[in-house]
Amino acid sequence: MSESIVKGKVYDIQGFSVQDGPGIRTTIFLKGCPLSCPWCHSPESQAFRSQLSWISMRCIGVEQCGKCIKACPKGAIKAGNAVKKSGTDEAISYVSIDRSLCDDCGDCTKVCYPGALYLCGEDYTVEELLKRVSKDIPFYDESGGGVTVSGGEALSQAEFTFELLKGLKERKIHTALDTTGFTDPKNIQQVLPYTDLFLYDLKNMDSSQHKIVTGVPNERILDNARRIAEAGGKLQIRVPIIPNFSDSEENIRLTGEFCRSLGDAVVLIQLLPYHDLGIVKYQRIYDDVKVLKAEPPSDEKIMELKKILEDFGLTVTVH
Amino acid sequence: MYKLKPVSIRVLKMREMYRNTVPKVCTARLKIVTDFYQNNPNITGILKRGLVFKEIAEKTPVLISQGEVVVGSMAATYRGSALFPENDIAWMQVDYDAGKLFNRELDPYIIEEEDWDYIKSVIPYWEKNSLSAMVDQYIPEGYFNAVGNQVTVYNGKNICTAPVGHFCTNYDKAIRKGFGAVKAEAQAKMAEMEGHMSGNMIEQYNFYRSVVIVCDGMITLSKRYAAEAAQQARECTDPARKAELEMMADSLNWIMKNPARTFYEAIQVMMLYQIGLCLHNNMHGISFGRVDQYLSSFYEADLAAGRTTPEKAQEIFDLFALKVAEMNKIWFSGTTLTVTGYTVGQLMTLGGVDKDNNDASNAVTYMMLQTAGRLLLHDPPMSLRIHKNTPAELWEAALETTKICGGVPTFENDDVIIPALMRNGRMDLQSARNYTLIGCVEPAGCGDEWPACGGSGGEAYWNMPMAVLHAINDGHNPMADRYGNITEKRTGANTGYLYEMETFEDVLEAVKTQYQFFLEWQMTMVNMFEVVAAEHMSQPLVSCMMDGCMESGKDVMKGGAKNNSSGVPGVGIGNAVDSLVAIKYMVYDKKLCTGKELLDACLTNWEGKEDLHQFILNKVPHFGNDDEYADEWAAWLLNLFADIVASFTSIRGCKFAPGLYPVATNVLWGLLTPATPDGRRKHEPLSDGISPVQQLDKHGPTALLKSVVHIPQEKYSNGTLLNMKFHPSALSNETGMAKLIALMKTYFNLGGMELQLNVISGETMRKAQENPEEYKDLVVRVAGYSAYFVELFKNCQDDLIRRTEIDL
Ligand code: SF4
Ligand code: SF4
Repeated sequence: MSESIVKGKVYDIQGFSVQDGPGIRTTIFLKGCPLSCPWCHSPESQAFRSQLSWISMRCIGVEQCGKCIKACPKGAIKAGNAVKKSGTDEAISYVSIDRSLCDDCGDCTKVCYPGALYLCGEDYTVEELLKRVSKDIPFYDESGGGVTVSGGEALSQAEFTFELLKGLKERKIHTALDTTGFTDPKNIQQVLPYTDLFLYDLKNMDSSQHKIVTGVPNERILDNARRIAEAGGKLQIRVPIIPNFSDSEENIRLTGEFCRSLGDAVVLIQLLPYHDLGIVKYQRIYDDVKVLKAEPPSDEKIMELKKILEDFGLTVTVH
Repeated sequence: MYKLKPVSIRVLKMREMYRNTVPKVCTARLKIVTDFYQNNPNITGILKRGLVFKEIAEKTPVLISQGEVVVGSMAATYRGSALFPENDIAWMQVDYDAGKLFNRELDPYIIEEEDWDYIKSVIPYWEKNSLSAMVDQYIPEGYFNAVGNQVTVYNGKNICTAPVGHFCTNYDKAIRKGFGAVKAEAQAKMAEMEGHMSGNMIEQYNFYRSVVIVCDGMITLSKRYAAEAAQQARECTDPARKAELEMMADSLNWIMKNPARTFYEAIQVMMLYQIGLCLHNNMHGISFGRVDQYLSSFYEADLAAGRTTPEKAQEIFDLFALKVAEMNKIWFSGTTLTVTGYTVGQLMTLGGVDKDNNDASNAVTYMMLQTAGRLLLHDPPMSLRIHKNTPAELWEAALETTKICGGVPTFENDDVIIPALMRNGRMDLQSARNYTLIGCVEPAGCGDEWPACGGSGGEAYWNMPMAVLHAINDGHNPMADRYGNITEKRTGANTGYLYEMETFEDVLEAVKTQYQFFLEWQMTMVNMFEVVAAEHMSQPLVSCMMDGCMESGKDVMKGGAKNNSSGVPGVGIGNAVDSLVAIKYMVYDKKLCTGKELLDACLTNWEGKEDLHQFILNKVPHFGNDDEYADEWAAWLLNLFADIVASFTSIRGCKFAPGLYPVATNVLWGLLTPATPDGRRKHEPLSDGISPVQQLDKHGPTALLKSVVHIPQEKYSNGTLLNMKFHPSALSNETGMAKLIALMKTYFNLGGMELQLNVISGETMRKAQENPEEYKDLVVRVAGYSAYFVELFKNCQDDLIRRTEIDL
């Protein structure tokens, strides 16, 4: 059957993930996204290909190891600066990677046992993933949880996501799909019967601003949300609160109005205040930090915005 | 929403006194016991132990400190430590000679010079007359060949520095019946036998005689406290306190002999009985049992009669807990490394089911949690029995408590423990439903079992990875043991070297042989100890209340209790399992290295073998990740261990019971365990409880829990221990809490027995290491016990920080 033929590019599978829908869940993160939000806290999700990643802390030093240097066919790796090994006074040298020479072939990761170098993005069949996530069924059952398919934009790998959600439903596992909504309506149509809950981002109600900042306008996103609601789907709306972009009272009010217009399809609104944890992750795949740096919004501000939405009769949580 | 109630000023002051008093060593008990032993060499056996208690009860210092309502003291000063020479006191000389007695790094004590002079003067006497000295004479000859193995803890001498302990007698009977009634019962039995004792009836007669003596002792002790309270009342100028002291005197005159009448009296009986047991016995894991079950009816009756209010009762319970917290004893400096924080394991159990399998929690259950949460007390430790019908509000109260007071309470699963206790003829359903926890996490009968948890004499901890190492190293320990024995001789069985084993099945055979070899020695040594101890350390004060003993006329040490058991706990499960998996993967399945290479790497601490080391750590499957390749061997190894232990018989006729908990021996033992095939370096701590190796569980808590249920926990009626560390953000809101509860419930449904939580970030612990003063009250769960973090030994702190932290 087609199930086992389609492969998806996955960059992470997280067990006991508790922020991505009801109960205890496993979240599958797929690679690739058509948007490019500057605050993105999983930059490794943006590209569609596998990328060489680097976690310095894990490197045991070129003195003891240095195998990656020999393994690289492009000569992209050389010994870098000396640092102190964590918890000791021992000086070791990490490696330095010349990104302009690297083509993400992954040869170096095969010899790096400590996993300092690793390829972000691994191919899985639907069958493999189903096997993996089925292990936690007892936890889903006890907690009312299940599996969340996330990204990137999961619907960028539409066929795979569809097969995956279908497979999950066949195993009677609760499904959630975390999506930007920026996708061909037919993709939404296809997954609707197999998706118990859409985790749906509304980043900004003003389409031109949306386009300037994320790279795409919002009409299609809003349309798809209406489509889901009309078809009887359930939505958990996520609103990132980004300073000087989405944090205006006006934007939040419009968001509230829009959600109200969807009838009882919206079960919950999650406010996601900006944080700067993404920066560390950028450093794993890029030399320079492109991520947005800003002051996280204050608690009072968040509470005000929460109140606006609650006045629409919506249930709101903050993460 | 769970709320903490206000704490009274009196309680706050008492807590301050507790936290600010450096304990002082008191020689009163030492003197009473030494004089008695030296002056009465003709009095032996059970009479000696009975009479020595009476002597203690008549002479021990009676101390009622300012503001105390619940009374009882181990020593002449508040928070003082008594000394217990009967087991062994030579360790004090050892510590002194090593310069570790007067400036103890951990758990400091004040010792007066003149007191030390006295202690020193009696050490030579006890070197010949202590139980340890006597037991040494009976070590089987063959064991000397195994000395230095570091799988079992026993050396060739001084093998019973840890006393008889870890039990729970029937406090409920002491409260509701009193020692007067038990004494009368014993006297009646004696009268019946008088003049016509055939067979071994004389032994029963001696037992009852000793019971009469200790009952008198208990009543005397209470009356001495009554007199002291009355005296203080006469001198007291504050009318409120005066009235209180008079009330106390009245109660103390009444209780012990007669049944308790009020909530306060019931608590006071527990307290004084505990003081009696500890003064008699060397306080070692003497546990209170199901305190909420004893107290509930008294509390309800007092409320109904208008004799008390919830606030007043809470205050009394607070004072009781502080009184228990204050009790401690000075340990050998080496032992202190494993039980830091003045820990003596006077565990209290709450919740659970009643005899008809209905939920037994009550108002006192919540009162106990309030005490721990508001006073941030790690002592007395508390264990909450969970079952299918545990009310949601009790879950919430318990989790809120553990959030602020690390590891208090622990969570125990009735649905696994009750059937486990009924295995292998250990106890019947009625006793099993009434079980309690002992010491740290050991299930046992509540007032009806002599469980010898954790073994007797030397602790029964058994080093699992070390036995695996013996299996692949032809029975040799390549490193010095904790007594410094380094030996060329074979300390284990002759099983050949890893490189001589052609298949993985050969390795498994070798492991089986060593496990059998060392477990049999372990249990032989426990039996040997018990035979000697049963003669010299009878327990009439425990036995007089313990179900079964009055009926059988036999001391608990002779098997008189209704139920019996004997525990053997294994340590380092994660390392042992991972070692097997690494051998299988590297040498046999994937053939990535030879047996010689792997064994040599262990013997040389991975020196020059970093590539192999990294490969094993990072590329070989490890226990704790819900990976059948590894988890299968957890099931194999722990079935092996459990089955061997359960097949062995104790001198009391019961079977041994396997357990899996380390207290904090995993850190200390790590220092004494060579590098192991799983990639662990020499000196690194062993894995904790039934947890995977530190930081090698990489797939989150659900995968970890799925792995550990491969361990046949239902066979481990001596208890299992699983620590989990959560980042505070994981529990910061109600959904987080609900998900955690679901996580725990799933673990319990899948066959998990016990779970304890630390809700703390590594960052907080690192800060506490830097600024101990600011984090003085930070309570963390170590392993089998909780403690104030800043009072722990540095390696132990580091081990806690290293454990995998679950965040969101
Ligand atoms: S192979 Fe990995 S551990 Fe070795 S030097 Fe390279 S990055 Fe460091
Ligand atoms: S991914 Fe390939 S090209 Fe890039 S550094 Fe590694 S080996 Fe070299």
